[in-house]
Amino acid sequence: MPSPLDRVRSALLDEGLQEALLRAATNNQVKVEALLRERPELTEAARRARRAKEEAIARLEELIDEAMMSLRAINAEPHYAETPEEAREAVARIVGSGKLVVMSKSMAAEEAGIREYLEELGNEVWETDLGQLLVQLEDGRPMHTIAPAVHMTRERALRLVNEKLGANLPEDAGIEEIAGAARRFLREKIVKADVGISGANALAADTGAIVLVENEGNIRLVTTTPPIHIAVVPVDKIVPTLQDALTVAIAQAGYAGLYPPTYINMIAGPSSTADIELVRVWGAQGPRELHVVLLDNGRLKARETPLRDQLRCIRCGRCQFECPVWIHTANNWGGPVYGGPMGLNWTAITWSMEEASRLAFLCLGCGRCDEACPVEIPLSRLIRWLKTQAHRPGRS
Amino acid sequence: MLDPKLVSDLVARYMRDTGLPVPAPKEALYRWAKPLRLPREGPRYLYTGGLYQLMPYIQAMVKYLERMEEGRAGRLALGLAGRLAGLGGLAKAVARPDKGLVAYSESVLRGIAGHLRRAGVGYAYLYEDDLYSGVILHDLGLDEDFARHASMVYRRLRERGVESVITVDPHTTHMLRSIYPKYVDGYSLEVRTYIELLDEAGYQAKSSGEVVIHDPCLYARFEGVVEQPRRLLSRSGVEAKEPRRSRRMTYCCGGPIEGLAPSLSKRIARIRMDELRRVSSRIVVMCPICYANLSSVAPEGVEVVDLALVLGEPGA
Repeated sequence: MPSPLDRVRSALLDEGLQEALLRAATNNQVKVEALLRERPELTEAARRARRAKEEAIARLEELIDEAMMSLRAINAEPHYAETPEEAREAVARIVGSGKLVVMSKSMAAEEAGIREYLEELGNEVWETDLGQLLVQLEDGRPMHTIAPAVHMTRERALRLVNEKLGANLPEDAGIEEIAGAARRFLREKIVKADVGISGANALAADTGAIVLVENEGNIRLVTTTPPIHIAVVPVDKIVPTLQDALTVAIAQAGYAGLYPPTYINMIAGPSSTADIELVRVWGAQGPRELHVVLLDNGRLKARETPLRDQLRCIRCGRCQFECPVWIHTANNWGGPVYGGPMGLNWTAITWSMEEASRLAFLCLGCGRCDEACPVEIPLSRLIRWLKTQAHRPGRS
Repeated sequence: MLDPKLVSDLVARYMRDTGLPVPAPKEALYRWAKPLRLPREGPRYLYTGGLYQLMPYIQAMVKYLERMEEGRAGRLALGLAGRLAGLGGLAKAVARPDKGLVAYSESVLRGIAGHLRRAGVGYAYLYEDDLYSGVILHDLGLDEDFARHASMVYRRLRERGVESVITVDPHTTHMLRSIYPKYVDGYSLEVRTYIELLDEAGYQAKSSGEVVIHDPCLYARFEGVVEQPRRLLSRSGVEAKEPRRSRRMTYCCGGPIEGLAPSLSKRIARIRMDELRRVSSRIVVMCPICYANLSSVAPEGVEVVDLALVLGEPGA
């Protein structure tokens, strides 16, 4: 595996990547700026999201217990995982082997290595978010929090669907045709799937409801078509109330530049019907089982460090698109899952302080990310703190 | 890309030995003021913190390190030297900084001194007590060294009777105004930039023409110095235009990582340069790091120039 700094070096030499990132970042910057100017309610939503997240971080243990109780009350099954290994095992126990599994893009699932693990156990697993599917087909890693294939050109995407999915599209096929080929391929998988796996934008402790924002419509299908739905939710996504969860979703969509989002999904339990004799049975058109795997992986402990502020991140990815360094590296600057300003801090929390603190030295300290962040995380200050950790005795 | 640990070790050692981040003569910091014979005592003290003056030496060091980084033998020598002893070659290379850059930095400082005098702002100069602020230690996360250095600088200023300072660049301003208070016990200094003081004095220089403003990150996002330079330019007859990304959302020149990742730093500078020169071929900067990095990628016919010089040449 190439070293973290080697990945940055190769990114700088990849002119196609440089061009793709510059275009995507510029488009996003202009779009979000205009959105925030035209819709002051988004700034207000961000302010409320920040307050909700801060309260949640302060009461996290209590809210985890409350969320688990609320989930049981709506007939969902909560699972608590302290480590990525425990999360993988929890998911594996539900899925078993020889199954067909469809996933909607989830950074938490990525963090726990769930797709790879399920494949090792002999399951067929497909990502259904187009960008994430392309990343899966090239055996790569997501290059942005909400735009995983931001590094990919039309040509590369076309080659992947032709070679890996047997799409047989002509050389001049457009993006719509590529999306169409992916849709045809995935439709069949989704309809036949035994299990659907999603992440969550937020989980409401008061009701156990999870909220998911999307534009592709794949999350709707993945979370409702298969008979079993598993949501992998990092504990920092827990907020006190359902109102808070919806606020977080709105703010996330706005600051990602996708507003109004095409879909907001709210899921509070498995599907049911009481249409015959008013007797409630589970599993109507939606899943009959809903499992929520709560993942800690360093988050509770991070509350005792300056990284506590990072826990209120709503994963809009704006700090990445606004960062002068990220624009030349994408998530090649970061750990195995997360990259860019917020990604360095998430890498320190969930993966390796040593790796994060070394990569932190590429930060300009310019503070553009601080300005971009909807929930006012002092990102550049946290990254500078990571640098101080590189000088601690025992680190080479 | 240079090893951050190596650069940190090197800088920390120079700082401990000499109080400067690079091998440079101490008088390099106050040589610019010699011909001006500024008063040594006054209500306020001009504290440059040495960033303008050290810029040519820092540039020479970066170029030297880059060359070392290119060859395997160089890397080994660099590693060994970094760990063991002083870098003879480095000291020699840095002893010959770019003369043009030295002259530029000194003319900016003399320009600032002249503007303050003409605006009627009373001040004295610190001369040998105009010490480097230690900003690089803070930027590299060397907190213990930084705290020690900051306390030393503060002690020297207080011993000299200083209660109020005038700063000239965003990094030093940020250190003294926002960062020192977190590291130095009982810290109390009034810190104003020359830009704020000129603006408050209603200063009007004689100038003309059109420029595009490149806001320094720290002024715009951390120190609230945004509208003051615009007002100064406009009062002085200069039309100041805005790039797409300006004020609080200004875009970095790439300078801060020049020493660690020169090629990435240059790419960032080029992006910013392209954006600025589309608006005007005369780019006004307020920071020596922005000046060095942007002018290094400026194409023919594009001029990068400090605010102090746009407001009129020294002696004007």
